[in-house]
Amino acid sequence: MSTSQPLSQEEETAPAQPAAPASPNAVDVENLDFYYGDYHALHGVNLQIPAHKVTAFIGPSGCGKSTLLRCFNRMNDLVPESHIKHGSIKVHGTDINGPNVDPIELRKRVGMVFQKSNPFPKSIYENVVYGLRIQGRNKRAELDEIVERSLRAAALWDEVKDRLHESGVGLSGGQQQRLCIARAIAVEPEIILMDEPCSALDPIATSKVEELIFDLKKSYTIIIVTHNMQQAGRCSDLTAFFYLGRLIEIDRTEKIFTNPTQKQTEDYITGRFG
Amino acid sequence: MIAIIVLGLITFFLFREGAEFFPQNLQNLRLYRKAGLEYVGLMREQTAAHATLNRSLQDLRVRQIMAMLKAGKTQEEAQAALAEFDTYATQFDAAVGDLRSLVSDLTDEVTAIKEKAKIHDDALEQREFLLKEGKKTEADAVKTATVDFKAELAPVLATFPAYTAAVATLKQNLEVVLEKPLTLPVHEYQPRYKHFQNAVRAYLKTFPETEEKLKNWRADAPVPWWRSLTSFLFGTEWITNSFWQDWYGILPLLAGSLLVSIIALLIAVPLGVCAAVYVSELAQPAEAKFIKPYLEFISAIPSVVLGFFGIAVLGEHIRQLTQWHALSWISAFPIAERLNAFTAGALLALMAIPTIFSLSEDALNSIPRHFKEASYALGATRLQTILRVLVPASLSGIVSAVLLGFGRVIGETMVVLLCAGNRIAIPDFTEGIGTVFQPVHTMTGIVAQELGEVANGTLHYRALFMVGLFLFFLALFINWLAQTVVRKYKISIG
Ligand SMILES: Nc1ncnc2c1ncn2[C@@H]1O[C@H](COP(=O)(O)OP(=O)(O)O)[C@@H](O)[C@H]1O
Ligand SMILES: [Mg+2]
Repeated sequence: MSTSQPLSQEEETAPAQPAAPASPNAVDVENLDFYYGDYHALHGVNLQIPAHKVTAFIGPSGCGKSTLLRCFNRMNDLVPESHIKHGSIKVHGTDINGPNVDPIELRKRVGMVFQKSNPFPKSIYENVVYGLRIQGRNKRAELDEIVERSLRAAALWDEVKDRLHESGVGLSGGQQQRLCIARAIAVEPEIILMDEPCSALDPIATSKVEELIFDLKKSYTIIIVTHNMQQAGRCSDLTAFFYLGRLIEIDRTEKIFTNPTQKQTEDYITGRFG
Repeated sequence: MIAIIVLGLITFFLFREGAEFFPQNLQNLRLYRKAGLEYVGLMREQTAAHATLNRSLQDLRVRQIMAMLKAGKTQEEAQAALAEFDTYATQFDAAVGDLRSLVSDLTDEVTAIKEKAKIHDDALEQREFLLKEGKKTEADAVKTATVDFKAELAPVLATFPAYTAAVATLKQNLEVVLEKPLTLPVHEYQPRYKHFQNAVRAYLKTFPETEEKLKNWRADAPVPWWRSLTSFLFGTEWITNSFWQDWYGILPLLAGSLLVSIIALLIAVPLGVCAAVYVSELAQPAEAKFIKPYLEFISAIPSVVLGFFGIAVLGEHIRQLTQWHALSWISAFPIAERLNAFTAGALLALMAIPTIFSLSEDALNSIPRHFKEASYALGATRLQTILRVLVPASLSGIVSAVLLGFGRVIGETMVVLLCAGNRIAIPDFTEGIGTVFQPVHTMTGIVAQELGEVANGTLHYRALFMVGLFLFFLALFINWLAQTVVRKYKISIG
């Protein structure tokens, strides 16, 4: 797999996050209580996510992993009646629910890849440049360059370089998901949120995406929700375990998998429930 | 299944009533030639063209008087100033005198021949009928006189030298008139006069061609069978109950229907689609709950009520609006007719909006939610998401909604019958925006208006069924097109 991205090398030499010296963390969550209407979905979550690491969220379904993830780019704004009752979320030190934060701007910095691959019914090329075009960046040469770079970074370039102008919907499931990753990194976000990106993929496509995640962490902070314990073990640096809307524990991945502090975590990992 | 049977039955019965149209129309066309109407028709066209020129002179006169009255002159002064113009106009009118009387005589002659032929046909029919009833003696008593077209037509054709002489006089007279310089009392109309002169020159240029056609005309030249079809599909005139000749050409009606429908769609598509986008993407749930039933209620208004509204309110208000001074820069304003294609189109738009709205809304709602999320997650605003993702993704659904709306308006009858002005003529498309303010007649309107009055089984009756059949197939075609578009869309989304 190609690792020759100009982007990543550049980032490696630079010290992490000179922009926000106040916090070395990409995301800081403090005492978060989140509601869907009356339904209390997240209970007092406290969490720090370091930059340039892969952090995995695991837990039985319905425990609030997606909900928390979608708080980070304020996608929950689109859900009527949903709200944060207490607590704050800081991305690189800025409170993203503060009065001066535009969710549109935030989402350019915090990209997202969804569970179900969702390329637009447009050409591969147009899918990748969508985020640029909506920012008014239309220069052909610039777009061409970004398309190639993003597709290379998403390890898709060699497979699609001859059919950039064919529909993105015609790709295989795994290719579609990598196209969605390319689309997310084309706008050069700082953080990429991935919500079970491999749950609909076959094992081969899954391993490609996992390799990709491993490569991407040089340039980006990645937060990945996964149902698949092996996946969390393979590609994450940190793992957070959630249960019934609460963060049970977060630690280095090896630690969580070999010697968790909490009993619930151990039960879940050893497959006693979930 | 039932739908297919019903469709089949409709097609069958329409065909049964309509198919007879072709042989009957062919007979009608053949008689037109045999009886010499076609021959005299060529001359009539020539005099008619002169009459049109004459009318434009009269129009010019009226305009000048208006202008002078407006400039503060009295009626008498204005008339006096036009003395020179009037002599000119009289001269122009008189130029055609010889030809006109010749044509009028010939018209009487050929219509008499045609009448005889008709009486003969009727007698034959009656005899056949009696024979079928078994009344042989009565049948024999019916007198039939075969028409010897050749002999009857000979005196008509013999007038050709008289015709050439009359045309030569006309030409000479017109050339004299043309050479005479004329200055109009109202100077700003001088260009119109120039225009008129050019029209006369063009008219003169058509003379040799007409003469040639008359010379080569043969009463016994065959009328091919397909003329019966082409004269229907491409005929530019729909004339019925004429002493001269009935024409059943669908073009003026089709043009009227299309013009009205296009106006309706131009109004309804933006409104319907925007309403759909608004309700499905932007509105609060409470607003949507309020807007939807109201829009859908519009389609429950009986079309005759809309027609009343059009006659009593809309038509008059539109006309008053066009008289408004601030709009006078639009050359077509103020408009003359209260009931016109625009009035009807505006009301039809009202009927098409619910269709377009609900189908477009369905199309928008059927877009998977994850497209929207992907767009927002990339930092798109609502508007960008709507314009760049939602509308393109639902475009074929919207297109099919528009097509079905089109089907709805082209089939609508009551409103166009009441409000379109019912003038059977192909709209004059050279008038720019004024085109839409011309009265038109439509396919649906003509069937509704005339079917009740015609005798069962006549050519006219059959022609109306053919119009119905045409409409039916047009509607089927539009529906098929809409479905094809939708099917394609399903595939492309995958
Ligand atoms: N849009 C929503 N409205 C109401 N409740 C929701 C919504 N989305 C999720 N929930 C509820 O919130 C809880 C957490 O959901 P989610 O974050 O999707 O869980 P996970 O991703 O861990 O499976 C679940 O009980 C779910 O039913
Ligand atoms: Mg989830």
